[in-house]
Amino acid sequence: MMNLVKWARLRSPWLLHFNTGACNACDIEVLAALTPRYDLERFGVLLKGSPRHADVLVVTGPVTRQVRDRLLRVYNQMPDPKFVVAVGTCCISGGVFNGCYNVYSGLDSVIPVDAYIFGCPPKPEAIINGVAALLKKLEES
Amino acid sequence: MEWLLELLQILIFPGIVFAIVLAFVYEWFDRKIYAKLQNRVGPLYTGKSGILQPFADFVKLLAKEDITPGEVDKPLFNALPIVALTLSLMGFLALPITGLRGIISFNGDLIFLIALMTLICIVIIYSGISSSNRFSTVGAERAALQLLGYEIPMMLSAISIGILAGSMWVYDIVNTQVSGIWFLVGPSILGFAIFVLCGQAELERIPFDIPEAETEIVAGWLTEFSGKKLALFRLTKDVELLYLSGLAVALFLGGPSGPVISGLEPILYPIYFLLKTLFVLFLLTTLRALFARLRIDQMVNFSWKYLVPLAILQVLLVRVIV
Repeated sequence: MMNLVKWARLRSPWLLHFNTGACNACDIEVLAALTPRYDLERFGVLLKGSPRHADVLVVTGPVTRQVRDRLLRVYNQMPDPKFVVAVGTCCISGGVFNGCYNVYSGLDSVIPVDAYIFGCPPKPEAIINGVAALLKKLEES
Repeated sequence: MEWLLELLQILIFPGIVFAIVLAFVYEWFDRKIYAKLQNRVGPLYTGKSGILQPFADFVKLLAKEDITPGEVDKPLFNALPIVALTLSLMGFLALPITGLRGIISFNGDLIFLIALMTLICIVIIYSGISSSNRFSTVGAERAALQLLGYEIPMMLSAISIGILAGSMWVYDIVNTQVSGIWFLVGPSILGFAIFVLCGQAELERIPFDIPEAETEIVAGWLTEFSGKKLALFRLTKDVELLYLSGLAVALFLGGPSGPVISGLEPILYPIYFLLKTLFVLFLLTTLRALFARLRIDQMVNFSWKYLVPLAILQVLLVRVIV
């Protein structure tokens, strides 16, 4: 029974895209990964609008102090089991904004993160690779 | 033994289990054709060319945490997904699949079938309101407004078929088509077009997906539902899709009939049913891929300015012929 559930989980990760103050470059790359050219639906990936429907929270951009509460609220609204992917350098460490008075140094200082995708911005291939790495980690757990 | 056979019919074939399996397969077909029309591949790695994708989605949702937010109307919020699924399955039981009559079949059941569709829409409105979320409420309002738009032309096109067959019994309608010609051929092609368009609105698919418009109101009336409840609502939508294409087949395409070798009817009828419903589903999917979402005022305007007069014209045409 647990095997069946695990199999299902690996094959239908639904994404929720959240922008914590990105410059839009990472957002465009995330959307590009969902276009027909890369067609993530092959792996069962769908983009969902509501946090209640999603499994994977894809976060782009440096986490600002203003967005922290909203980010936490969206994170808490997602049903378990939930996973977080940090896309782009800003999201991982704050990037060029690291040390600013209004920016946290990385997403993992606010919520637990399961996968990091480097790049400024990362290519769609890198994002797909990151999601695949997350799924692999899930499979081994 | 009679009752055992009937129970098996209701539970397994052509009843609930068959309906659910077929609903998953049809969702896969829908997504696959939709992806092909967008120059994509669609679900690919889950089972053979992704055929198990809807099943995987369903199992995953069943195993997820089921959140009941504090502000919701708890009894309604918890009961409505089950009510919706029951209603759509009940509709499926009335479709003629293995023979010329469904498991539930009585004089005047066409009215019952159309009332069921309206009931599902009312369940949707209630589930939006019981969520007490602003997006859900807006979604429910839009669903109610949309219901006012598509319901009357849909009923009129069904009634025109009733007039052609001289009966409101689906069994009689199918029988008339078996002994004559399909109602699709001839004057009812307009009725078929209206029925399919209104069906698209009933299913809340793309030109008419206004109640769950993702880009405007998150997920509309579905916003607060998670885990098991979402799984049941998705299954309801799939069964409803199957039910609606099955009803279109029964009304316009001669039900499960076709050229038969005598003695093989119980095997051939379901096959014809599958082929015909897949054809209707293909039409519905093509509509989904071709259009962009309308605004709610455009939808209601279109419906009352064009669909209702055309449906009345259809009834008049049929009346002149009969």
